[in-house]
Amino acid sequence: MPVILLDRLPVPNLRMYSAGSVLALSACVYYATQVIKDPDWGAVAEDIKDSNRSNASVPLGRSMGQFVSDVFSVMIREPICVWTMINMAFCWLILVGTAIQKLVFGELRVSEQQHLKDKFWNFVFYKFIFVFGIINVQYIDEVLLWCSWFSLLGFLHLLSQLSKDRFEYLSFSPTTPLWSHVKLLFLLTAIFTLSGFMLLVSVFVGFFGGFNTFAFMSAEVVLLSIRTLHVIIRYALHLYDMRQEGASSVSANEENRVWEKRGPIAYYTELSFELTALIIDFVHHLHMLVWSNIFLSMASLVICMQLRYLFHEIQRRYKKHRNYLWVRNHLEQNYPMASSEELADNSDNCAICWEKMESARKLPCTHLFHNTCLLSWLEQDTSCPTCRLALNIQTPSTSRIDPPDLQVDAPQPQRRQLNHFFHFDGSRYVSWLPSFSVEVSHAQLMRQDNAPASNSQLDAMARQVQQLFPHIPISTIINDLRVTRSVEITIENVLDGRLVAPTMYREPEVVPATNRAMSVWQASCDTDSQRNWDEFSVETVETEDTSSLGSRFSKSSSEREKILHRRKENLIQSARKRYIEKQKAAAAAKVELQS
Amino acid sequence: MAGSALRRLMAEYKQLTLNPPEGIIAGPINEENFFEWEALITGPEGTCFEGGVFPAKLIFPPDYPLSPPKMQFTCEMFHPNIYADGRVCISILHAPGDDPMGYESSAERWSPVQSVEKILLSVVSMLAEPNDESGANVDAAKMWRENREEFNRIAERIVRRTLGIPT
Ligand SMILES: [Zn+2]
Ligand SMILES: [Zn+2]
Repeated sequence: MPVILLDRLPVPNLRMYSAGSVLALSACVYYATQVIKDPDWGAVAEDIKDSNRSNASVPLGRSMGQFVSDVFSVMIREPICVWTMINMAFCWLILVGTAIQKLVFGELRVSEQQHLKDKFWNFVFYKFIFVFGIINVQYIDEVLLWCSWFSLLGFLHLLSQLSKDRFEYLSFSPTTPLWSHVKLLFLLTAIFTLSGFMLLVSVFVGFFGGFNTFAFMSAEVVLLSIRTLHVIIRYALHLYDMRQEGASSVSANEENRVWEKRGPIAYYTELSFELTALIIDFVHHLHMLVWSNIFLSMASLVICMQLRYLFHEIQRRYKKHRNYLWVRNHLEQNYPMASSEELADNSDNCAICWEKMESARKLPCTHLFHNTCLLSWLEQDTSCPTCRLALNIQTPSTSRIDPPDLQVDAPQPQRRQLNHFFHFDGSRYVSWLPSFSVEVSHAQLMRQDNAPASNSQLDAMARQVQQLFPHIPISTIINDLRVTRSVEITIENVLDGRLVAPTMYREPEVVPATNRAMSVWQASCDTDSQRNWDEFSVETVETEDTSSLGSRFSKSSSEREKILHRRKENLIQSARKRYIEKQKAAAAAKVELQS
Repeated sequence: MAGSALRRLMAEYKQLTLNPPEGIIAGPINEENFFEWEALITGPEGTCFEGGVFPAKLIFPPDYPLSPPKMQFTCEMFHPNIYADGRVCISILHAPGDDPMGYESSAERWSPVQSVEKILLSVVSMLAEPNDESGANVDAAKMWRENREEFNRIAERIVRRTLGIPT
């Protein structure tokens, strides 16, 4: 795969690259100043541009602004200088991206990196097809304009993807500091605003360039803003949820009424955003296909495949929605809401979400559940969650619709949908284009452990860590390194007690006696009964008062973690003690029997 | 919706901390990610796994409790219903839709009223009484049927290993 190949290429690091870019640019500027110092230049320029610069022969008399514009006009005419400037622009973009990453995201997780890389190459590939296959540009400046447009767009796309991944990760924890939420939301809003601005630009360009150009440009921008807005709204709902938990005791009645409504609201925003994005994407691709007028080319083939994929997605989403409506109607028509007496009789919480029920729907088997909880369960299975009574719901589609979440979380990394090999013959479109092959994948890697990491590198890093902490097995270190990707962070994890040796490995340092005991066995015995169990010192095990640990659920997460850790330690040590004592007793009994 | 899953997991964690079942401890590995837990399970008494403390990892889907978590032992295991890589194969962990073995009735499958505690208790009883019909580990199932003595010896070795006692 080309992506892997590119991984191995020696990419110069960022510092070197930006230094080189700055150097190249300054060389160009220097060259330009030398050119305009030449008294002949003014005359030449005058001839060409017919400008009204009468005193151009006196270079020192120029104002600062004029000087800059002169330098610029020299550079724009020199191809090498133009390329240097483009390079500098890219360098800026990368630097800005890195700065944002440092400020908002910190270290990227492995799955995020992988996702980003996939998205990047997909984007590059499709835009390449678009520029050379669909609109078939002929002039280099047109190519440049499209490239700069798409680099900016791609940059925002990647940022929004990254924010989405990070939001999903943050929503896995109840203890995320407020500050990370603020930073991420700020970035999302910035992306959204910028996409609005870009929409204005595309309107402006479309005004001169015609409707097609406008449609091509705006479709992508609209997609970007829809996706970003979707994340923002999901984020807001999530934060509202979390806040609600904190304030659940206050005016529970009022809050709960909103909570009941929240389910459908979340569902419909999800549905409308997903469908809108899919449909816009579909129309966009259809437009490309129709407009390109080259039905029998590779480019149109790629577009067709994409169209097929989008069509299936829309169909899937639509079927799922029909199923939802069906189940909801069935619920409303056949099962009444529980009366307030029934609610009062039933002191239990909702068995699905474990939260209190202010209102509930009653199934024929008299089991009560929140309306929304029940609905989301019945969408995937038509039986009572508690007693498994089969409810007579016939879903409209005879075949069962697989809930997508189940597939995504399968143990093996599953690459969903298409995975096709594609050959691009560039010379068909523009003579100087290369031909290449690429594997197009709509890869959706979900779990971080699937991401490939170069093993030799990990090993080296792990050994570094193990030199400092020899008691931690190397596999544990490697596992942590896969996540952190940094020796320093892993060391910090060890020091802060976040990374501990799995308990089963921890025996050697616990009792020196074990080693002695082992040598005794190896020297003298084969069977258990002859083992000298007295050699094990069980005294080293200080079993703490388990009741003091067990009966508390701390409010602070670090304390909870500490208590959990101690409880685990305790469990293992006492099990060990019991085991040794039992073996001792058994051995003693056997000896007695023999004598 | 990760939000409701998170609240439910928090409630389960609290319950498991305040009223832990005998010999079982479970909780998030790291509270930065509430969807990955570690559980310690004590081998049931009177069985070949007696006395061992077996660590396992639980991974929850974002739509928990609508979908079941995945469970995988992180220590060496030899058992008819545990794959060689430690994944646990019991009916309670299977969503109602999928049926890899083809004979589980949906009554034993996952439903949102199940919980971490119930899963772990079922695993304990699975350790005590292997179901040799579902052959996640065919070698182990065969040995369990035909050569119980050897099976017990292997189990004993695993138990010692989890306790840090040299075998
Ligand atoms: Zn509920
Ligand atoms: Zn029922």
